[in-house]
Amino acid sequence: MIFCMPMAIIGVASKGTIMETITMDSQFGQEVPVSGIDKALRQLWQQDDSRTNARLINLAVYSETPGSLAKNSEIVRELTREHACRAVLIEMDRAAQDASIRAWITAHCHLSGGKKSVCCEQIAFSLTGVSRGRLRNTVFAHLSSDLPLIFWWQGDLSPIFEERLYSVIDRFVFDSSDWTNPQKSFDAIDAAIATPRPLVVQDLAWTRTYHMRLAIASLFDDPLAQQSLHQIQKIEITHHPRHRNTGLLLLAWFAQQAAWVSGTELAMKIDGQHGNKEGFAFDDAMGHPVQATLVADEAAPALALVRIAGEHFEIVIERASHSSHLHLRLRVGEHVTDTLAPAGADEAGELIGEQLARGGKNSLFRKVLPQFRELLAAHPR
Amino acid sequence: MIFGATGDLTHRKLVPALYNLAIDGELPPGVKIIGFARREKSDEVFRQGLEELNRQVSRNGHDDEVWASFAPNIHYHQSEFTDEDGYRRLAEKLDAIDRDRGGKGNRLFYIASAPEFFDDILYHLKKAGLNQAKDGCWARVIVEKPFGTDLATAQRLNRVVNETFQECDTYRIDHYLGKETAQNIMVLRFANAIFEPLWNSRYIEQIQITCAENLGMEGGRGGYYDKSGALRDMVQNHLLQLLSLVAMEPPTDLSADGVRDEKVKVIRSLRKWDTPEKVAANVVRAQYTKGSVSGKVVPGYREEDRVDPESMTESYVALRLMIDTWRWSGVPFYIRVGKQLPKKATEISVHFKSPPGVLFQSLTDSGAGGNILVIRIQPDEGISLRMISKIPGTSMRLEPVKMDFQYSTSFGKASPEAYERLLLDAISGDATLFARRDEVEEAWKFIDGIEQAWHQSGAPIPMAEYVAGTWGPKEADDLLHADGNHWRRI
Repeated sequence: MIFCMPMAIIGVASKGTIMETITMDSQFGQEVPVSGIDKALRQLWQQDDSRTNARLINLAVYSETPGSLAKNSEIVRELTREHACRAVLIEMDRAAQDASIRAWITAHCHLSGGKKSVCCEQIAFSLTGVSRGRLRNTVFAHLSSDLPLIFWWQGDLSPIFEERLYSVIDRFVFDSSDWTNPQKSFDAIDAAIATPRPLVVQDLAWTRTYHMRLAIASLFDDPLAQQSLHQIQKIEITHHPRHRNTGLLLLAWFAQQAAWVSGTELAMKIDGQHGNKEGFAFDDAMGHPVQATLVADEAAPALALVRIAGEHFEIVIERASHSSHLHLRLRVGEHVTDTLAPAGADEAGELIGEQLARGGKNSLFRKVLPQFRELLAAHPR
Repeated sequence: MIFGATGDLTHRKLVPALYNLAIDGELPPGVKIIGFARREKSDEVFRQGLEELNRQVSRNGHDDEVWASFAPNIHYHQSEFTDEDGYRRLAEKLDAIDRDRGGKGNRLFYIASAPEFFDDILYHLKKAGLNQAKDGCWARVIVEKPFGTDLATAQRLNRVVNETFQECDTYRIDHYLGKETAQNIMVLRFANAIFEPLWNSRYIEQIQITCAENLGMEGGRGGYYDKSGALRDMVQNHLLQLLSLVAMEPPTDLSADGVRDEKVKVIRSLRKWDTPEKVAANVVRAQYTKGSVSGKVVPGYREEDRVDPESMTESYVALRLMIDTWRWSGVPFYIRVGKQLPKKATEISVHFKSPPGVLFQSLTDSGAGGNILVIRIQPDEGISLRMISKIPGTSMRLEPVKMDFQYSTSFGKASPEAYERLLLDAISGDATLFARRDEVEEAWKFIDGIEQAWHQSGAPIPMAEYVAGTWGPKEADDLLHADGNHWRRI
């Protein structure tokens, strides 16, 4: 009886009204038979009429990593502060011998202003073994109808990601930084995008570039910097080794915005210390060569530095490790500006929140994707 | 009198319905319930079996005190359905009850036996004079489904029924019509000013009716089902009834015939397909193969108990129907019904056309779509309306949101079971929620056209397959894709 249990106050939100987050049970809730999930959820709400069951979306979180349910339940608890959803957590162990399925239900409740308790349902599934279509059949039977399905896939894409799965998804979120074979996984993404009802895809590696893109764009709002856009000779991006795709996506975006084309030999050989550098050659709109360098730094956040330079100007956007701000510096001749801007989050859970708040068709990402794929293939890993 | 009193329907639905009517004070005083069946049983043993099930399924729970006053009104009458003497003894028993009560009683005969006994029961009721109402009283009959297996058998059964009881005393039951939300369809359409002006081809793009079951042939159901199939078992009656309620014109009044006159016009207006090719282009039939439902591995249809391993009976059917009326010209009605689908749900969804895309089309995510009005028949009876809304924030971000009305939470009490309402209506002589002779025959006429294309044409339409636990075969998806539509995710 989840609602009858003593409730634990987990945290106090700092934004606006006083909001307390209450979880109904430990871990990911009360175990229920799969065939009795709907009934158990009904009982859950009937136990206390004072709570409001809120949902704006279906959020499915899929992982093949053992122990992911507890971690994802925690992420969902935070997410539901601002994004009312029916959350469906799925942990899949495809290597297990026997096929089995277990389910748990719970609700994440947030007390707003000490008056109204707004709750979001969560159903957690643990599946083992391989059985055709079980994920689609069992899990998707528990979505809230007529609300969009946002599917967050954690880790490498597996054979489960196929047409009959993604045809029911409205938005597919993944983090290509987690992929061991990005080329192969992006091939699968390309196939999903090419369907008559194209899948809206959102790469968290792309979301990580958002504040850096915003900062670059804002610096080029300066009239003097704008005039220098066609005089760029070098661009350098420093990233964490795990976030190479984030660096490449930022580079692909910039190349596209500046109308650069890939050089004859896109992949440049650069002798970086300990092999931590890779180079790319572009031609700008006037046909002048531009050299791009990606530097991997273990001590850096996902994106630590962007340096864009020409003969008479330099733009530097820097983020110190653990800093929540970007340091923006522009120098064009004698003209110098120095400002701060928000850096945004790097953690997947927070990025999902940003992504949900932003929505959209993500058309810019799709536009950048071909050039990104080209960069990815230039220095295969 | 309930014929087929030892069956599941009597134990799970009819007697619990009568018990709940009694609890709610709706059952007229002095009602006696007589179960008529073949097995040897005493009144006491019969009551015990009913009590046991009532404890499990009664909507209002089971109260020993209430049962103690209700149970003495239940009796058991043992007889073969074909035994003339059994009906004579029944007539004597009823007369004795009348004498004990010092008056004449009304009589309601509920034929819930296996369909092969319908004729015998009606014939013997007539022979025993039980079809004749006593002065100032009435005698009525409720006939359970299936009402025939095709047009010819339905017509023949109608003849037998009408030779025994007058049409106005005949109640062909379709329990879907007794469900609260089904009854609410007319109220929603005709008691709200905002819907009816939009209820036509100008504003509605498509209508979908889904009846999904997450069960297969458990409990020996395969024997009956394999002779029937989804089209005859569900579409001919339940789904065409729902369709006619959704698509009918406003009736002149709320009398039984006023409503049924309009419903039958819808069924008559269904576009017929005169060649097997046209049937194949508009109807998909399929059987499930081995898969998993609710986490359990389940066998394929042909491996089910009491199902022919080479069966050509469909466990799933999807149809694209067109209603050739002024109101519905060009609007497809998609119907799908199937066994071993991912969840149990019966819903009607009305998909409105999208507004002109000049302002916000580029801001909505794919799949955001237009407005959808959903009427949930079961479970969680209710109505929801999906609309597009701006999400709070500094940017113009649009998402679909849902206004949801649920019977269970809005009215604070559980809706009566369909059988409660229908039994009460039959007792009070209101046939509005029962099918009339012409409705049944028109429905069969339409269904027969499909069955003939399936089973009697030179080039039979192939049987598609779907994995148990999925939402049906790919061919059913393609049926809608051809029109640029897709099945609504439930």
